[in-house]
Amino acid sequence: MAYTAMKASTKQKSHVWFLVFLVILVVASLLINLGPQYNAFVTKHNVPLPKVKEFPFRLGLDLSGGTSLTYDLDLSVIEPSDRLNAAEGARDVIERRVNMFGVSEPNVQINKTAQGNYQITVELAGVKDINEAIKQIGETPLLQFKELNEERKELTDEEKAAMDEYNKKAEAKAADVLGKVLSGGDFAELAKTFSEDEATKDNGGSLGWLSSKENPEIIAIAEKLEIGQVNTNLQKTSQGYEIVKVEDKRPQTKDGKPVVEIKAAHLLICYEGASNCQSGLTKEQALEKINKLKEQATPENFSDLVKQNSTEPGARDSGGELGWFSNDTMVKEFEEAAMAAKKGEIVGPVETEFGYHLIYKEDERPMMDYKLSHIFIKTKSIIDILGNVDEWKTTELTGKYLKRATVQFNPQDNSPEVALEFDSEGARLFEDITGRNINKPVAIFLDGYVISQPTVNEKITGGQAVISGRFSLVEAKTLAQRLNAGALPVPITLVNQQTIGASLGQSSVDKSLTAGFIGLVLVALFMIIVYRLPGLLSVIALLVYGSLTLSIFKVWPVTLTLSGIAGFILSIGMAVDANVLIFERMKEELRAGKPLGTAINEGFSRAWPSIRDGNLTTLITCFILIQFLTGSIKGFAITLALGVLMSMFSAVVVTRNLLKLVVTPKIASKLWLFGVKPVSDKQA
Amino acid sequence: MYQFITKRKLWLSISAVLVALAIVAIAVWGLSFGIDFTGGSVLEVRYPQNRPSVAAIEESLSNLGLQNLIVQPVGDVDVKLRFQEVDEAKHQIILAKLRELAPAGEGQSSMEELRYDSVGPTVGRDLQTRAMTAIILSLIAIVIYIAWAFHKVSQPVSSWKYGVCAILALAHDVIIVIGFFAVMGHYFGYQLDITSVAAILTVLGYSVNDTIVVFDRTRENLFRLRQSFAETVNTSLNQTLTRSLYTTFTTLLTLIAIVIFGGSSIRNFALALTVGVFFGAYSSIFVASPLLVVWNNWHNRKKA
Repeated sequence: MAYTAMKASTKQKSHVWFLVFLVILVVASLLINLGPQYNAFVTKHNVPLPKVKEFPFRLGLDLSGGTSLTYDLDLSVIEPSDRLNAAEGARDVIERRVNMFGVSEPNVQINKTAQGNYQITVELAGVKDINEAIKQIGETPLLQFKELNEERKELTDEEKAAMDEYNKKAEAKAADVLGKVLSGGDFAELAKTFSEDEATKDNGGSLGWLSSKENPEIIAIAEKLEIGQVNTNLQKTSQGYEIVKVEDKRPQTKDGKPVVEIKAAHLLICYEGASNCQSGLTKEQALEKINKLKEQATPENFSDLVKQNSTEPGARDSGGELGWFSNDTMVKEFEEAAMAAKKGEIVGPVETEFGYHLIYKEDERPMMDYKLSHIFIKTKSIIDILGNVDEWKTTELTGKYLKRATVQFNPQDNSPEVALEFDSEGARLFEDITGRNINKPVAIFLDGYVISQPTVNEKITGGQAVISGRFSLVEAKTLAQRLNAGALPVPITLVNQQTIGASLGQSSVDKSLTAGFIGLVLVALFMIIVYRLPGLLSVIALLVYGSLTLSIFKVWPVTLTLSGIAGFILSIGMAVDANVLIFERMKEELRAGKPLGTAINEGFSRAWPSIRDGNLTTLITCFILIQFLTGSIKGFAITLALGVLMSMFSAVVVTRNLLKLVVTPKIASKLWLFGVKPVSDKQA
Repeated sequence: MYQFITKRKLWLSISAVLVALAIVAIAVWGLSFGIDFTGGSVLEVRYPQNRPSVAAIEESLSNLGLQNLIVQPVGDVDVKLRFQEVDEAKHQIILAKLRELAPAGEGQSSMEELRYDSVGPTVGRDLQTRAMTAIILSLIAIVIYIAWAFHKVSQPVSSWKYGVCAILALAHDVIIVIGFFAVMGHYFGYQLDITSVAAILTVLGYSVNDTIVVFDRTRENLFRLRQSFAETVNTSLNQTLTRSLYTTFTTLLTLIAIVIFGGSSIRNFALALTVGVFFGAYSSIFVASPLLVVWNNWHNRKKA
């Protein structure tokens, strides 16, 4: 008797230890799952508890919204043994280019296809302009240095006369058509008859919706017109004469908000340590000074205050005037403050890398898209006659010889520019080029466009050059980064693109969470109704299971995809399978008249082989899916496999110990709690 | 006790008919494969108001020369378009055309791109190879596993026969699920994609799990009960019946929750799983064990 009592007490003790272990596990997983809420609570109520590290879920693209791009690498010219290296090189370049978009956690991976080719998959979450992203990833920034082409580029007198004659006729024709339009002629008919824009003449001259980004010349004409109006004066663009009709206009939107253009001026007080600063002020002094200036500043005296105080080079002349600008042209902090300000308001101080700014927002206007129709009458230019005889001649010096590019500021006007440093070969080429072009311009081309054409004063040795275009800071930075990122070592082709809109992703998250919650509740209800006390315990085990699995998803981290969440929800249903197996066995043993303690032990030990075998097959298929498939299916297999493993733990370890913990002699006598009628009834 | 085994001819006939129907459906209607296998593009857009008609959309895209264009309205505000694989420039043109069809209203964008998939033909071929590899390897792995799990049981039915019966039950489930895909494809435009393959493989794992539980019980009872083989199998089926029903029921509860509340992107996947799980449970009771008995009887008769 004494022996059994002692044995029981040690047993009880081991269950207590288990309970402590379980509580620690659950608290840890809850802290991981509810970290942000816990931290917020601690901060709000000043609870003397340490804060925890917050682990967010890592969401796949189908949930977060975003784009996945797959590129084929053409490695045919590369020795098979070097292919992986080349693929890795390409990945690094692509990764650097992707990093420029400021994507949160870009994911760039090499995968090998079943045929043994290499591919690179790029996952971009939350990039709005995919078109632009694709361009930036795929394009090699082509940097070229060109010298003047000395070949013939003048028109002969005859050619010139012919061209002028042609253009005069064009002008007359355009004026005639304009007259017909203005006197009430049918625009579409006239376009059909007279327009020289072959692409649009047959559909009434319709250009569809355009913004100033796409065609600044035409939009400049359209801006002055109301809906339904046609320009009353003849308008000439670089290509020819335009008769433009505004069919419709609408404000541009980005993320559902209208895009505006603002006009502003600013006053800068920089401090030592800020970019390009020689004010001699400390940060505190600069702040104090700018705060004082803010008190005095009014829209009327702003320009004068700038001229007297701004530390920006050139401010004495410009009065800090920045002109009209839109998104992504200024430093981020500056832009945000300027956009947020009201018209006529002076805001600040705003801190940027250049120092403290006061911003006077003078005006604001919405950026518009225009739906246009046009009648186009072509004029001729030199290029039309001589063909594309290039003004510039390509030299051997290209971006290939570039060692590094950095952003710096022009000491005269503080405008951003890009400094280039060549390698030794490039330095030699540059020396040659500058040597033979003294007092002549040398042009720097990027992607086929001139960005700068400085005149060479003397032969330059040492391999240093500067590109000073009319860059905004953002543009200069992007250019330097793109040049640094370098050229792709191998050609790539986009073979797969998948884009999920952010709203679809969010609604998928919401819906699958709802589905998971409902599934869990239904399963819990079922277990409690069917198995009563053990059912309740298995539901507790199920909750433990849910919390532990979710925290593993967070800590590992497992990338959650839509099908991954489905795998997790499915594993909830499967998780109770082990419990059902055990409880059924237990009931059988109880019905056979065995005491409760024995029945529990027997139930677990007899159900174990089935649980093990059954789950193993699911694990096998999951393992194969993980090995051979990619993307969302891999996510599904991973969550399902993790779920199955955790469910075995929860059913076999957690439920069993909980059951033993609550089974006291008092409870053991109440067999209805276990869904079993007393044995005597059955025998009677 | 339910007499599953004595009515085995009925159950096996029902299954045979179902399998035959599935095969006919597959043969007659065929399976339509998703773009992830064949290459091509899928574009889903939303028009929050004034969704243009299918004809209007087809009309506006007509001069782009898109091959295999299928326009399908989804729900009240969405449209799904399938067409050949195109490059990014063409994709942008298509979007611009679609946007033109519904001018912007007050403070609302006219059209929203929900999803865009464009798969090149090489990627499709690669996925086909991967999917086939995964299916074949899963089957091999499961056969090996079952053979190993039952290697100790050889009386009165040799262990490999358990394996074969389990595989036949699996084949039954998989054929019915694929037949279901064919029916869905014919009536609802369902396309077999990589998630369908994942669903099939999951059903494989799940169904064999169910079958193993019953066989395990049979194996255990063979040593304990002094009954004929057919009776032992029947007893084992009855003993595991509650468990099979409950487990299937809880799994179906979660799956149906996904079908109803999980949103359209995952609905087909969950639906395929639902059908598979249901027939997986059915086959482990009404196909695998009766087959085992049929085989054993036939074997005995041959010997006699």
